[in-house]
Amino acid sequence: MSLQKYWSDQGCYLAQPYDLEVGAGTMTPDTFFRVLDRRPWRVSYVQPSRRPNDGRFGENPHRVQKHYQYQVIIKPSPSDIQKVYIDSLSNLGIDLSVHDLRFDEDDWESPTIGAWGVGWQVVLDGLEITQFTYFQQAGGIELFPVPVEITYGLERLEMFLEGKENIFDLDWSGDVSYRDLRLREEKEFSEYNFNLADIGRLRESFSLAKAEASMLIDKGFLLPAYDMCLKCSHLFNLLDARGAISVTERVKTIGEIRSLVVRIAQKYCAGQGRG
Amino acid sequence: MEFLLEINTEEMPASHIKAGLSQLKDKIEKELQANHISCLSMETEGTCRRLVVVGNFAPKQEDSEEVVVGPPKAVAFAADGSPTQAAVGFARSQKAEVSKLDIITTLRGEYVGFKKMTKGRLTSEVLAAALPTIITSLSFPKMMRWGEVNLRFSRPIKRILCLWGGKPLPCSIEGLKAGGQTSGHKLHSPRAFRVISVRDYRSGLKKNRVILSAEERKSMILRQFEKRLRPLQAQLYPDDELLEKLTYDVEYPYAFLGEFPHAYLRLPLEVLSVAMREGQKLFSVVREGRQVPYFLGVADALGDRKSLIRRGNERVLKARLEDARFFWEQDLKVTLVERAAGLKQVIFQEKLGHYGDKSARLKQLVAYISDRLDERKLKNEALQAAELCKVDLLTDMVREFPSLQGKMGGLYAREEGYPPTVSRAVYEHYQPVGLEDPLPSSSAGALLSIADKIDSIVGVVGIGIQVTGSSDPFGLRRQAHGICRIALDRKLHLSFDDLVGTAVSAYGGILEKSKQEIIELCRAFFGQRLRFIYEGHGYRYDLVGAALGAGLDSLYFSHLRLKALESLQKSPDFEPFILMAKRVNNILRGLPLYPLNPDLLIEKQEKELWSSFSIIKENTRPLIAAGDFVKTQPLIFRLQAPLGDFFDKVLVMAEDRKIRQNRLALLQAIGRLLLEIADFSQVVVEGEKKERTI
Repeated sequence: MSLQKYWSDQGCYLAQPYDLEVGAGTMTPDTFFRVLDRRPWRVSYVQPSRRPNDGRFGENPHRVQKHYQYQVIIKPSPSDIQKVYIDSLSNLGIDLSVHDLRFDEDDWESPTIGAWGVGWQVVLDGLEITQFTYFQQAGGIELFPVPVEITYGLERLEMFLEGKENIFDLDWSGDVSYRDLRLREEKEFSEYNFNLADIGRLRESFSLAKAEASMLIDKGFLLPAYDMCLKCSHLFNLLDARGAISVTERVKTIGEIRSLVVRIAQKYCAGQGRG
Repeated sequence: MEFLLEINTEEMPASHIKAGLSQLKDKIEKELQANHISCLSMETEGTCRRLVVVGNFAPKQEDSEEVVVGPPKAVAFAADGSPTQAAVGFARSQKAEVSKLDIITTLRGEYVGFKKMTKGRLTSEVLAAALPTIITSLSFPKMMRWGEVNLRFSRPIKRILCLWGGKPLPCSIEGLKAGGQTSGHKLHSPRAFRVISVRDYRSGLKKNRVILSAEERKSMILRQFEKRLRPLQAQLYPDDELLEKLTYDVEYPYAFLGEFPHAYLRLPLEVLSVAMREGQKLFSVVREGRQVPYFLGVADALGDRKSLIRRGNERVLKARLEDARFFWEQDLKVTLVERAAGLKQVIFQEKLGHYGDKSARLKQLVAYISDRLDERKLKNEALQAAELCKVDLLTDMVREFPSLQGKMGGLYAREEGYPPTVSRAVYEHYQPVGLEDPLPSSSAGALLSIADKIDSIVGVVGIGIQVTGSSDPFGLRRQAHGICRIALDRKLHLSFDDLVGTAVSAYGGILEKSKQEIIELCRAFFGQRLRFIYEGHGYRYDLVGAALGAGLDSLYFSHLRLKALESLQKSPDFEPFILMAKRVNNILRGLPLYPLNPDLLIEKQEKELWSSFSIIKENTRPLIAAGDFVKTQPLIFRLQAPLGDFFDKVLVMAEDRKIRQNRLALLQAIGRLLLEIADFSQVVVEGEKKERTI
């Protein structure tokens, strides 16, 4: 909440989480479409992110198949953005004079949506708490003015603040722990992601979503088309977690999703959308 | 006069800092040179947040004097001494006064003209004009843009400090004006302050918690490490690459020592140190080569009074080690042999099939090599290792830490109770990874390493992928380099063509190029690698050329040839012999091969040459086969006298075609023998030194 207040004071519009499964806050339309054009944009929002492959049946103290990200996008990137970010940490009550805060080289890339950027993972006393990226491309399109994306890993940050070693020990609110809230979900979803998901039906759903996306792009309905791409991406991640994707198939499938996304981005930039 | 430039940026990767600094120095040097400004000194320094150039340059260009010559005196002045139209026109065109014209005596006679003095430009003007271009033209391994700035750089530029003789030098880059200020440590002393000299700059930075010199930061780190380790009587597990990176990642290094639970000591040192290094950038601590439950880290901080940094890192490391322990235990639940079937799922290269195929080829190759070397015991060990060596690609540990490939296979094989020779061979088969890395210590490991690398090289070359200056996606250079080093180190006499040929055949026809084409390409490729190695060892380039020019019958023999040339070049026979060999070579250049008929040899000298040659050839044959070129060469030198007589007394280019061709055939036979030892024509001797052509 104090992050929301902080970024709203920085002039960010506070959005709500997007209601589809996404791998990262970057993939939601509030980021993806808004970074493409030349218009300034400031937004921040919490986004639950699902990464089926990161599931550990609730047994790993750091890794979970669903976590919460706090996403900030500002375009163009302000020249003092690192300082603004650092102040956001102080604002959370972290006294940086007694800690080790580092910006470690970590360039980010999402081949599925044809996006990459340059930046760092921000590491606080050895714990990665934020991904800090200057977007260079999205949907295969070179971005200018350049947006900056700041993605806080909320659980990590909270672990740091509470000094907890295990994600499930976090206090959610007074008497409710992260364990109460999420452990069962982690166990069941890990089982589903790795062992139960029906490969045939997943593949079928994938083709359906792909066909739908293609149809929508042709008709110029870019936002629903992009939703379909997000579905494809999540289905692909599930198939991957099930071990159903070979190395060559992996490259091919990512390429398929990307080419849909690139078409959407191109039409969007050419102003051909219906919206 | 003192020059100071600081480009202040957001955190740059260590590799970018070095690239940036060397380009900056280079470009400024060139600019000064082009402008005839002398550079008395120039140094660079850097941290992740600043690229710094400190120099001492002349205050201005040297003044230059130029003589401008106009029309002849006779044309320029009338008989009465008054200037003609020609003189007036010339003066006007040069923007000079007619009265300033002098008479200049040249070789062709007297002319009018004048001395033109050009005042040297001020260095400050030259620098102010050049710096923006120099800074914007720097290139980095990966470039980015930010905000609305129309510039690509390593990371966003925050501020530029540029002083000339203690005063800010006015220049600007994409709207960012250079000034006389810098700022201290980003977190611990972020204030901006004014700077008036280099000394002032250095001390100001230190006061504001920035250690500018990389050397100084590194020694601070090492001193602190030592202080922390002394009470433990333990040592740092060295990792120069990590140390180098951390030296640039921090502006004020503080080293801390942390602990982790004893239980994780059950994991091998390799796993522990990778888990520490990757992600958290921590160093392992060992006592007598064994891991102890401590680690060292480097923070960008002034201290750790409340132990928050240490405790934070301990917590994160524990989670990582927990992951590693989970992988180790999971992996050991399935034996390597049980896992091996899965190699069919792992693609080696799209056109070259999967790792299951690769393992099968490696078995063929190690069998071939050990047969050639007559190593029966080794053969069984190497075959077993070849079967197992790629399986660790399927383990969770290698998936998490790819740099452990090979090593993990070896460690798991050891846990499963395979003979130490087999597990060692698996462990070592990727070695050497870097150019300077240690070679496999075991014979089976060396053999498997050669097999693995030649298989990759032949495969990639065979599907038409070329290694060029900038592109070597499969690291083939490094792999060829590794093979050469192992072959030389272990003195392995293996036929190069047959080794490559066997590797080609092992692919069973899936390659696009023919066996002969691949052999040719590999010869050239390995020739370049050997040249690189030999010149790195300080051998003369022409001797290297001569040794390699004899052909690549075996990698090891090329080294013996070279060593023989090196040891004999001081012999008095060497130079005259080389000249003679060159003469033979020149005569034979471009001729077709002629048959030799000893009965057609008529003159005494050619008969003598023939008989000396036959004897020498007979005597050198076993020596050459054994690679004993040191003994072979003096024998060959004995051809000198009969060859000399032959050239003195016998006319090679005889009228009679048959006689002429027979004499050439005799020389061709000699030339062939010489070429088995070295391509002597490539040796450069006194009196005909030539520039090296690259």
